[in-house]
Amino acid sequence: MPGLGASFGRGGATTFVQDLVNADCILIEGSNFAECHPVAFRFVMTAKERGATIIHVDPRYTRTSAAANLYAPIRSGTDIVFLGALINWVLTNERYFKEYVTAFTNAPYLVREDFQDTEDLDGLFSGWREAGTYDTSTWAFEMEEVPRFDGEGTVKVPMRDETLAHPRCVINVLRRHFSRYTPQMVEDVCGMPAATMEQIANLLADNSGRERTTAFAYAVGWTQHTVGVQYIRTAGILQTLLGNMGRPGGGIMALRGHANIQGATDIPTLYDLLPGYLPMPSTLRDEQTFAGYLKNATKPGWWSNAPKYITSLLKAYYGEAATPENDFCFEYLPQISGDYSVLPTQISMKDGNVKGYFVIGMNPASSGQNAELARAALERLEWMVVVDSYETETASFWRREGADPAKIGTEMFFLPCATVLEKDGTMVNTNRMLQFHDKAVQPAGDAKSDLYLIYQLGMRLKTLYANSTDPKDRPIRDLTWEYPHEDEHERQRGEPSAVKVLQEINGYKVEPGKRGYECEQVAAFADLKDDGSTACGAWIFSGVFPDKATNRARNRVKDDWTSLGWGFSWPANRRMLYNRASADPDGKPWSERKKYMYWDEEAKKWAGPDIPDFPATKDPRTPRKPGATGIDAHAGSDPFIMQPDGRMQIFAAGTLKDGPLPAHYEPMDSIVRNHVYGQQNNPALREFDRDDNRYNGPENPDFPYVLTTYRLTEHSGIMTRYVPWLAELQPALFVEIDPELAVLKGIKNGGWATIKTRVGEIEARALVSGRMRPLRLGKGQRVHQIGIPYNYGTLGYTSGDVVGDLIPLAMDPNVSIHEAKTLTCDIRPGRRASYGRTDVDAAVPVSQHTTAGESHAHGVDHGGDRG
Amino acid sequence: MSTAQLPPQPNDSDRGASRGDGLPAHASPTYYEQPLLKKPHWEWSVITYLFLGGIMGGSGMLVMIADERPERDADLARSARYVAFALAAACPLVLISHLGRPERFLNMLRIVKFKSVMSMGVWGLIAYSGPSTLAAAAQLSRDGVLPKWIAALEPRPLMKLLQGLIGAFMAGYTGVLISATAIPLWGKGKRYIPAFSVCSGFAGACALNAAIVALTGSDRTRHKLERLELIASTAELVLLESFRRHAGSTGDPMFAGERGRRLRTYTQIGGIIGPALLGRLPFGGRAKTLLASALTLAGGYILRETLIESGKDSADDPRAASRQPE
Amino acid sequence: MANGFFTDTTLCIGCKACEVACKQWNQLPADGYEFSATSYDNTHELGGTTWRHVAFVEQAAPLDAPAADTKWLMMSDVCKHCTNAGCLEACPTGAIIRNEFEDVFIQPDICNGCGYCVPSCPFGVVDLIAPADYDAPRGFVSDGRTNDDATQHHGGIAGKCTLCYDRQKLGLTPACAKACPTESIQFGNVDELHARAKERVEALQARGVQAYLYGVDDNNTVGDLNAFFLLTDAPAAYNLPERPVLPSTRQRAGYTAAALTAAALALAGWAVLRSGD
Ligand SMILES: Nc1nc2c(c(=O)[nH]1)N[C@H]1C(S)=C(S)[C@@H](COP(=O)(O)OP(=O)(O)OC[C@H]3O[C@@H](n4cnc5c(=O)[nH]c(N)nc54)[C@H](O)[C@@H]3O)O[C@H]1N2
Ligand SMILES: Nc1nc2c(c(=O)[nH]1)N[C@H]1C(S)=C(S)[C@@H](COP(=O)(O)OP(=O)(O)OC[C@H]3O[C@@H](n4cnc5c(=O)[nH]c(N)nc54)[C@H](O)[C@@H]3O)O[C@H]1N2
Ligand code: SF4
Ligand code: SF4
Ligand code: SF4
Ligand code: SF4
Ligand code: SF4
Ligand SMILES: [Mo]
Repeated sequence: MPGLGASFGRGGATTFVQDLVNADCILIEGSNFAECHPVAFRFVMTAKERGATIIHVDPRYTRTSAAANLYAPIRSGTDIVFLGALINWVLTNERYFKEYVTAFTNAPYLVREDFQDTEDLDGLFSGWREAGTYDTSTWAFEMEEVPRFDGEGTVKVPMRDETLAHPRCVINVLRRHFSRYTPQMVEDVCGMPAATMEQIANLLADNSGRERTTAFAYAVGWTQHTVGVQYIRTAGILQTLLGNMGRPGGGIMALRGHANIQGATDIPTLYDLLPGYLPMPSTLRDEQTFAGYLKNATKPGWWSNAPKYITSLLKAYYGEAATPENDFCFEYLPQISGDYSVLPTQISMKDGNVKGYFVIGMNPASSGQNAELARAALERLEWMVVVDSYETETASFWRREGADPAKIGTEMFFLPCATVLEKDGTMVNTNRMLQFHDKAVQPAGDAKSDLYLIYQLGMRLKTLYANSTDPKDRPIRDLTWEYPHEDEHERQRGEPSAVKVLQEINGYKVEPGKRGYECEQVAAFADLKDDGSTACGAWIFSGVFPDKATNRARNRVKDDWTSLGWGFSWPANRRMLYNRASADPDGKPWSERKKYMYWDEEAKKWAGPDIPDFPATKDPRTPRKPGATGIDAHAGSDPFIMQPDGRMQIFAAGTLKDGPLPAHYEPMDSIVRNHVYGQQNNPALREFDRDDNRYNGPENPDFPYVLTTYRLTEHSGIMTRYVPWLAELQPALFVEIDPELAVLKGIKNGGWATIKTRVGEIEARALVSGRMRPLRLGKGQRVHQIGIPYNYGTLGYTSGDVVGDLIPLAMDPNVSIHEAKTLTCDIRPGRRASYGRTDVDAAVPVSQHTTAGESHAHGVDHGGDRG
Repeated sequence: MSTAQLPPQPNDSDRGASRGDGLPAHASPTYYEQPLLKKPHWEWSVITYLFLGGIMGGSGMLVMIADERPERDADLARSARYVAFALAAACPLVLISHLGRPERFLNMLRIVKFKSVMSMGVWGLIAYSGPSTLAAAAQLSRDGVLPKWIAALEPRPLMKLLQGLIGAFMAGYTGVLISATAIPLWGKGKRYIPAFSVCSGFAGACALNAAIVALTGSDRTRHKLERLELIASTAELVLLESFRRHAGSTGDPMFAGERGRRLRTYTQIGGIIGPALLGRLPFGGRAKTLLASALTLAGGYILRETLIESGKDSADDPRAASRQPE
Repeated sequence: MANGFFTDTTLCIGCKACEVACKQWNQLPADGYEFSATSYDNTHELGGTTWRHVAFVEQAAPLDAPAADTKWLMMSDVCKHCTNAGCLEACPTGAIIRNEFEDVFIQPDICNGCGYCVPSCPFGVVDLIAPADYDAPRGFVSDGRTNDDATQHHGGIAGKCTLCYDRQKLGLTPACAKACPTESIQFGNVDELHARAKERVEALQARGVQAYLYGVDDNNTVGDLNAFFLLTDAPAAYNLPERPVLPSTRQRAGYTAAALTAAALALAGWAVLRSGD
């Protein structure tokens, strides 16, 4: 989550859900907290019972809104305007936490003279290249020469004006940047009454500062946009101005998705990252050599440690074979030469450029964007392996409605997979917490654990290449691949040991001639070396298995707050990140009420209920040491140790592709023109304008309604659709529409409705509800928002059309996230005319040819009450 | 758009669930118009049981009050004994058929429970079968079918008393059984339903026995039974009418609409007024009696059927179910 | 000592975990996959195979009022385990008992499916389960099949919340309360729950919430409910009776009426039969 990374240094929730009870105010925006994270939501309810004010900002009135003290509606896709207006309000009313901001952020820094803002370029920043990308060199600070800490020569550091007076101070650049984000603008663009916005502004300001704190909670309601990363940036800036970061009851709670989605980014399933957020070597940067890679990966601040982490990772991968002489087999690593994220891969698969496909724990045929494109793409594969506990829509794509199995050449392998209770392993939850789970029962039938399947695949490849002399096969031959199970029977079954895998992830001290699991564990990432004397599978988890006897992921000692004795949170079991900021620059708590970590004068160390996210004995008054390596360069008052300068980046100098400051752009498909700038969309977004992926475009009269998609408590996907007890609770795909639109369109509650975009057409049962409210934008424009849950598919006790069949592929430039949250559509009563795309080779789905007019011809029931 | 299209508002006088389907707000809060109560799963078997039980009980009462001197109601006593016995044998079978699994009838006999009208009814049925069997046996021996000595065993006055008292209970308890439920219509009729159940049962007994007497006994007895039946069914008519008044809208499922029409046609007119008028006719003799009896019995069945079925409808009305009758 | 539930609807987030946990623990079948379009409630009511049911009451603010005025009430309903239980009194077989936890429990092996408890519950809770869904040796049948086709109830038995008698005997919290993430369902000693609930009501009223307890000290013949509720709207809005009445209280009147009528008829008959011709 670079949204958080660019601002604070790490791409993870900055706090833990249990701490929400200490908040005086919680702003839930971009998440349906209660419905999608019901168990964690208990802490919000506790906070509310303790007197906290709960605010929910969402296009729909949901179960979260019902539990909140204040609900505010918003037009989907416009949060930057709302948050930007809050920033503007906080700055102009001088309600920001001045000491906090001056001491802990880059607010005093001077921005380069040649930097041009969206204010100057009507929505663009300086450095725009018609190629479609930014030259980010001007998004930087004015530098000055200062003597090195050791007096030997000088170093360049950003110029500062601690008085914050200089017009080019970051905070003044910020003021100017957001000056046009006014309450009126919120009313005109978001459809939220200006009064409501100001009410929220006051609540946030009143509940922030020395004595009080406000927490933010978001999830994919903020991320799934072509400006997604900048949503998070805006929230980060606002929370920092309010002085809530790194403090109890504060922070930004990024609610992660699947049980282990955090783990899947920590040890990434992402194409451009290595475990522990190390960058993947790329041919687009001069990283063909280890030296080149190290040069890029090593940065001031914490990342000065990068060499230790990458070297230890390579040792973990290639063991004995990895030596200083051969750059620890760095060359074995693949080099990325472009964007290989899911969506572009989907496209090139459709174009026949992908041979084989492993689908493990994912069901793109039902959850994918432009899902029919995804399904059609599978037909172009030579082979596909699906590892799942159920036969998914993906696994059965070849017999879907409209497909002709005879014409499909893809060879399908389906490997039944053990469920969580049938296998050992770990999950990383939204608290960045690693928890170990033990196998309770043997898998049913011939199902196997994922670990088994991957491990056995590896073994077979190794035997296949055992005698090969071809250098390109060395990565497979040299790969360390031994995790003998502790249990005799499991060993005979060929099941590897999840414990030994976790031990390797923690890391060990390399001992010649010994296997990894025979060596002594490293106690923490502080022990990792760049000379090949240590191996570590993912540095951030180092410390979870400090010695062969201690698996801290198994710890289950809880208390009523930080519960350090429960599980293991990366990094170093810290629960709250950047918690140094909970004390003032001198190390004293900002207030008794909000006491957390503080400098203990006697003991000369940081104390408090958590692990300090800071050198444990570094005196708060330590001056900065320009030129010193790593975080030694930081002052004792620089809390954000992952950042080069130890400070929160209000102005993100060149770390993001679409701007150093957030700006509002309309979604790819929008019912209106951008009211804020001339620039309609995020200029840097990635689009795929082609026949099988057509956009409705801005202000398209054929698609006059806003469409958003989301989840239901009752469902997750195929897993829940196959559970009768859950299926009966939400037995059909439905579309939520407001009563006014229902009357307008003659759609009956409980009847059928058909929703259409230029990508496709789906049908759903209508749920007419006053919880959905038409909004009024500038010039009195009436906006109807339509909502559809996305958890349905064609299989299970309950089934329904796939919402992804409405959604064109478009991506944010930083993390390639799709835009499933804000679309435009048309809706009509009755059932769809056609579904499924009969002709395999036709790039254009049949339904795209089907205009509303034709569907009359197809005799669609417009009475709408087939239900 | 008209605000009538909007779901009811919190500030409205009528609070409650909105249907959100563009329908106007409801008069009083209900949960999507869904039933608040569960309806009984009682079909023809239970209806038949209520019907036969009434006649069975009524016959017992007739046995009790019959004057057994040959020149007087001996013929009535005979037929009533046989009817009582036959029905006492049939009723358990009907109940069992309702339970689905015969052996389960025995579960009823685990306990005697005064609070449970159904338990009382079951024991009443068993208690009733004793005297009525013995009495029927004695009657058979008097009629020369069974050996003479059997008749001698019967303590006749006591048996007559028991059959009369338990019979009266059997004729009435079914009314108590249904009015002692949560069903608004039935609760509302806690006094009326038991009362007209007894009347209807007694009238039915008179009708059935009159028919038998018409074929086997004296005209005198037949006429007396017709008079008795007239008295009972007139009472029934009055009770039904006052129940209708008393019940008000709660009574609609029973007295309004199609079902009310059925009740009036078959029970009130066909089953009560009809026979009464027939009785007035100067001609017709036995045939007339047979017809009148048939009408009365049919009316009795329709009454029970209407009672049960309209109870189910009453259970479906959330408003009636919300404020339950004392 | 009585164990029961305090269900605080102001803490309910409508996640339905209680409803699912109940079906899972008791292995009850699903009731069918019909879309109802009544808010997020697709299971409608308590019944023979649904022993917890979450009601959703939508009260949308008019468009000229702030969106924040909209209300969405959620309430997890359950058998009330009445102090004076209509079902228990009605049961002719003694299948329904008050167990050692003073909860109203149906012994499935004794119930004979007479169905008298069904109309005898003033809250419309208990119902018959079709034989297809209950099979004596195996207990409840719960393969993906639903019981919506189960119109044929003859030979079935009655079903309702057991207040997890089995779990309580093992010292476990009832499945629904255990699953509730927000402590909207609180299980425990009823007296303690009463005390807690009354404090809660005061606290809420102090905050301007019109909260009240349903099933505590309401002077009605049903008496206190061992499973009682904190509500913020009229009972009927949640499909609860405003004025429940214990059916057996009508027996006296009924028997008397029957007896008098019978006596009158007997006398009349006696007179008629004895009268000269
Ligand atoms: N029961 C259940 N729980 C789940 C999941 C599930 O499938 N089922 N999935 C898990 C996964 S993978 C994830 S990622 C999380 C997602 O957790 P959430 O992000 O909380 O879930 P969503 O329902 O996708 O979206 C949240 C809300 O965003 C709102 N929204 C849409 N557009 C906008 C917008 O432009 N601005 C704002 N402010 N809000 C907007 C939607 O109306 C919706 O209410 O949930 C996890 N939890
Ligand atoms: N329109 C729209 N589309 C969306 C979203 C949206 O909000 N709107 N949300 C997006 C988001 S945030 C996400 S995360 C994705 C989710 O998209 P998916 O991850 O594709 O959706 P799931 O149905 O959760 O698929 C998980 C699969 O993993 C299987 N599974 C479960 N446990 C295991 C296991 O232990 N091993 C293996 N091998 N398989 C297992 C399940 O059976 C299931 O088939 O959907 C995305 N798609
Ligand atoms: S499903 Fe799991 S992760 Fe999601 S809320 Fe429930 S317990 Fe938490
Ligand atoms: S609520 Fe109904 S079923 Fe439950 S105890 Fe009371 S009377 Fe019996
Ligand atoms: S159905 Fe079962 S529980 Fe209900 S009254 Fe009859 S025997 Fe008792
Ligand atoms: S107590 Fe047990 S049986 Fe009753 S509702 Fe809760 S889980 Fe179901
Ligand atoms: S589990 Fe608790 S919060 Fe969820 S629906 Fe049931 S009572 Fe409400
Ligand atoms: Mo997700």
